[in-house]
Amino acid sequence: MSRVARANLRNGLLFCLPWLIGLSVFLIYPLCAAFYYSLCDYSVLLPPVFIGFDNYVDLASDPLFWKSLRNTAYFATGSVTLGLLVSLTLALLLNSKVKGVGVYRTIFFLPSLMPVVAGSILWMWMYNGQSGLINTALRSIGIDGPAWLADPTWSKPAIVIMAVWGAGNAMVVYLAGLQDVPTSLYEAALIDGAGFFQRLIHVTIPMISPVIYFNVVLSIISGFQAFTQAFIMTGSTGAPERSTLFYVLNLYNVGFQDLRMGYASAMAWVLFVIILVLTFAATKLSKRWVTYDR
Amino acid sequence: MPSPNPLTRTTPLIHLPLVALATVFALPLLWLLLTSVQPREQVGKIPPEWLPRQAFIHVQGEPVPVTPPLPVGSDKLVVIPNAGPKQGKHLLVDPADYQNGQVTVRTQAADRIIEAHYPAQLEQAVPARFVIVKEWFLSKYTSREARVFYVEPNAVSREIAPVFGNYPEAIRALSASEKDKARPLGELLGKSALPWTHKGDRGNTITFLTYLGNTLLVALLSVIGTLSSSSLVAYGLSRIPWKGRTTLFNITLATMMVPFPVLMVPLYGVFRSLGWIGTLMPLWVPLFFGGAFNIFLLRQFFLTIPSELSDAARIDGCSEFGIFWRVILPLSRPALSVVALFTFLSAWNEFLAPLIFLTEPETFTMALGLQQYQSQFGGSEWHLLMGASALLVVPIIALFFFAQKTFIQGISTTGMGGR
Amino acid sequence: MKGRPARGQPHRARIGALVAVFALGLLAFGLLTVLSSCSSRPSKNAPRHITYWEKWTGFEAEAMDAIIEDFNAREAARAQSDPNYAPIEVEKVTISKLEQKLLIAIAGGNPPDLAGNYSFCVAAYADNGALTDLGPMLKRAGFDRSRYIDHYMQLGEYRGKTWALPLVPASTALLLNKRLFKEAGLDPERPPITIEELDAYAEQLTRWEVTLPGGEKRIRTGYLPEVPTAQKRLIQAGFLPGEPSWWLYGYGDYFGGRLLASPEKISAADPANVRGFDWVASYSKKLGIGVIKRFRSGFGNSSSPQSAFLSGKVAMVMQGVWMHNYIEKYAPGLQWSAAPFPYPAGHPELAGTTHAEADVLMIPKGSAHPEEAFAFMQYVSTQPVLEKLCLAQQKFTPLKDVSERFWHDHPHPYIRLFRELGTSKNAVAMPQTGIWNEYNRELGNAVDLIQNLTEPPARALADVQTKMQVALDRNREILARRAAP
Repeated sequence: MSRVARANLRNGLLFCLPWLIGLSVFLIYPLCAAFYYSLCDYSVLLPPVFIGFDNYVDLASDPLFWKSLRNTAYFATGSVTLGLLVSLTLALLLNSKVKGVGVYRTIFFLPSLMPVVAGSILWMWMYNGQSGLINTALRSIGIDGPAWLADPTWSKPAIVIMAVWGAGNAMVVYLAGLQDVPTSLYEAALIDGAGFFQRLIHVTIPMISPVIYFNVVLSIISGFQAFTQAFIMTGSTGAPERSTLFYVLNLYNVGFQDLRMGYASAMAWVLFVIILVLTFAATKLSKRWVTYDR
Repeated sequence: MPSPNPLTRTTPLIHLPLVALATVFALPLLWLLLTSVQPREQVGKIPPEWLPRQAFIHVQGEPVPVTPPLPVGSDKLVVIPNAGPKQGKHLLVDPADYQNGQVTVRTQAADRIIEAHYPAQLEQAVPARFVIVKEWFLSKYTSREARVFYVEPNAVSREIAPVFGNYPEAIRALSASEKDKARPLGELLGKSALPWTHKGDRGNTITFLTYLGNTLLVALLSVIGTLSSSSLVAYGLSRIPWKGRTTLFNITLATMMVPFPVLMVPLYGVFRSLGWIGTLMPLWVPLFFGGAFNIFLLRQFFLTIPSELSDAARIDGCSEFGIFWRVILPLSRPALSVVALFTFLSAWNEFLAPLIFLTEPETFTMALGLQQYQSQFGGSEWHLLMGASALLVVPIIALFFFAQKTFIQGISTTGMGGR
Repeated sequence: MKGRPARGQPHRARIGALVAVFALGLLAFGLLTVLSSCSSRPSKNAPRHITYWEKWTGFEAEAMDAIIEDFNAREAARAQSDPNYAPIEVEKVTISKLEQKLLIAIAGGNPPDLAGNYSFCVAAYADNGALTDLGPMLKRAGFDRSRYIDHYMQLGEYRGKTWALPLVPASTALLLNKRLFKEAGLDPERPPITIEELDAYAEQLTRWEVTLPGGEKRIRTGYLPEVPTAQKRLIQAGFLPGEPSWWLYGYGDYFGGRLLASPEKISAADPANVRGFDWVASYSKKLGIGVIKRFRSGFGNSSSPQSAFLSGKVAMVMQGVWMHNYIEKYAPGLQWSAAPFPYPAGHPELAGTTHAEADVLMIPKGSAHPEEAFAFMQYVSTQPVLEKLCLAQQKFTPLKDVSERFWHDHPHPYIRLFRELGTSKNAVAMPQTGIWNEYNRELGNAVDLIQNLTEPPARALADVQTKMQVALDRNREILARRAAP
């Protein structure tokens, strides 16, 4: 290696040193340790005892595991699709140069900044069956609202709605993406006689598809890790009838309340694999749907 | 240059859905703020009321806030006994219970009712149509006796009056111990256990300021740690050509997919062996060693800086760190402010990590403090709960208005955001 | 070779240096903060400081505060007269959801020295190695176990060892609102003796606001099955099994069922349990699930003036001995009485069934000052102190002996009843098993399904039975494996 190359290598490693430490201590080691623990019975207070794949076998036959997976998948799908719809619509609406774009943008964006704890408490109050805002509004138009967070059918939709309320940051991303679309493309489409929806489908969406893809993948990853809303609004058991028992909530219960850290680690690794698979699938799909600028 | 683009033509059709959606989005926050200044009695009303209203009566020209009026029901008398357990107190009794200057008082003992007679004097006769109102105090920890008034129904007026005192009351309510909740606010806050006070100092108590101090400390240290470490690493991955940097970068990208719950349990073990459980360190120390997302972000930004600038500095004899410090960093102000802002925001909003790693109540952050309050008293004092939530939310809103451009720019260019 | 700063950038370098210094300063500050929380080496007779985590709030917390003040004062006085003595100083911290946070703190290597927990946590904590065995210390102190009421003493004992001492006991009974009884035409001095009577009374105590076709509103009693839900609004319930929801898992006990037949056998699907939950489900059928849910969402916190019983929304509730204080405080005009919870007709042997738990004191594993913590435990377990504490909390003591003063001073009009129930042969506690946490969650879920009429009790409980028997077997396997080195 030449002297310059060696100097560069040394400098490069030196600059990256914090990350090399951080990566190994706070990421790679825990990841591997989690795998080892998942093969053990580990209660933290006592040393881990190796039991092979027993935890994973138990997981497969654990109805709570499957229920929490279903609940989380429901929430992730619901919040991502609904969030995408709402934020994209808002971005399209704001893309036309209406007066007061700044004010609208602020109103839509602000909820996404709120700490989840405060937002959950607020929506808990709003979802109150008797005196909550939501049911009062429904009552005024003659609908007898459900008990929302106390009703197993409506508890998940309630949390999804709250998640959509926080979709403002996605809107800002799409707005920026929309504004990057060259107007020449629109003009060309207009000349070809394309109407509004045709322009939307053939010009707008393809042009911002990379942004959409990136956002959707990140949303799915974070959607699968939903915890705080369920913890605060329905307690750590995911009542009623475990309808809001999300995956990470179940993990917290098993790991930090029953102190079955080995089992919890197995659950965590399964989550990791699921996310990897989903991201991989999304990437494969993106090759078909996403068009990148030449 | 605006082009005659039918896409950007605004039609009235746009305004209607926008206004409707904006109303729906703004309502919850508005409701939060309005409920936080409502008096206790108004909050559970069905149907809910928007504007904070308070009942008032006028005593000698001064308006006195009172509780919602209760009807007297039937003709009654107000008497003051001269003896017995209720001596000197105003009693509202049936006329039948006051005969010959003696009032009949009934008390319940075990499973029977004891009747006693005491001499008493008549204060006033209260006709059936009157209503009872009691002096209204903001705090339930007041030791003053509430005056009771018997007045005509139309003497009670309901006016719009926001109760800003709910905020100090919420701050008091967030205190950890019951005794402290009754102390005057200034005294209470003055004795807060803060991050730099010694554990176990006599008289120090956990208050809202404790939570605030902890949150700010973690947020500031997180920002400093992230900025310094991530920029260094991003520089190493973008401005220095060395073997293996692409591999490291790809690994960095891959780690963005690792969810925190996977690391949660072993990290707990790591911190435990280091003895950090029970302190704030698990929350900010790891950030001094870089974070995948911020490294990625800053690297992308650094790549846009022309290499000629680095080359020129190198020719001038600048060391690698010198180029980093004097050339790249100053040019990266926009990206760095975005990273700083979002790191601060994420530290302020964080909940799961504090829930797991913080075991000592003196180290709790605001989010944990609020959750603790909600789990103990949720369901009864919504006005205080909304007030406490507002205390957590309003600084962020203020921060937004202060740094709006950075926020929007940050999200637009990086697709960042979300917890 | 050091490079000259590029042209036009010297003041940037200075700012950079300033920022660096500031950052380092802040980092140092952060580290100092952390280090300051480490205690310095104490001098010979400096106070021995112990932390005590408690879950109580309100008047219950104040009761213990007074005891701690007494203890600290006593220790201080002793230090005054003996300069070589290092006084023990107790500091109490109130923790919400203590049963969750304590375990995490112990696991994290940072536990308090002493903790006041619920009796139903003893088994799980002990199995996980989270507690200090009190046996040796008790023996050295010459502890006399027979001073305590057997049932409550056993709550702290598990697998042959003593892990916790009972501190403040509790029991449950049926509370009824006399005024509502009178209004419904029932004799308030005659509480229901059997479950069937309870049901009959409950029907008469249920009131609705019915909207007649003309728009006029009328108050009617009974369950009114013929009136559609849209036209009636529940304003008063006679009895709601789910109010409060703390003992929902245990309604089978009142019908003679038990949740744990033996330490190796789960008995959730016991026919007596099924009968109990059939009865619970009957209330959902009578009133309507949606109706109950909406009615309940208007209740405030159960220890607030808006609680169901205190605000007169529910006429009869199962409640604990502590309720008296909340009544005095929030609903002083309430005319109420207490009676043993009814038993099913034809089963007088089940009379006096009650849920009897206790708040216990435990010393976590890894406590920094176990001896000092035990000294405080000893102090509290003496009769005068225990009576002072329980009196202030308006409960009875876990001791067999009760002083005349205690009875005389006690403000609770039904304290003798609650204590009798606590000593009855049908006093039941939550099953003492290491998997109780999981078991309780499963039962909570089953009760949800049962109350929502989603599943019949027989099936819901059978599911719990199968699942929890597996969990119990697995737990025994794990414990056996851990014991074998």
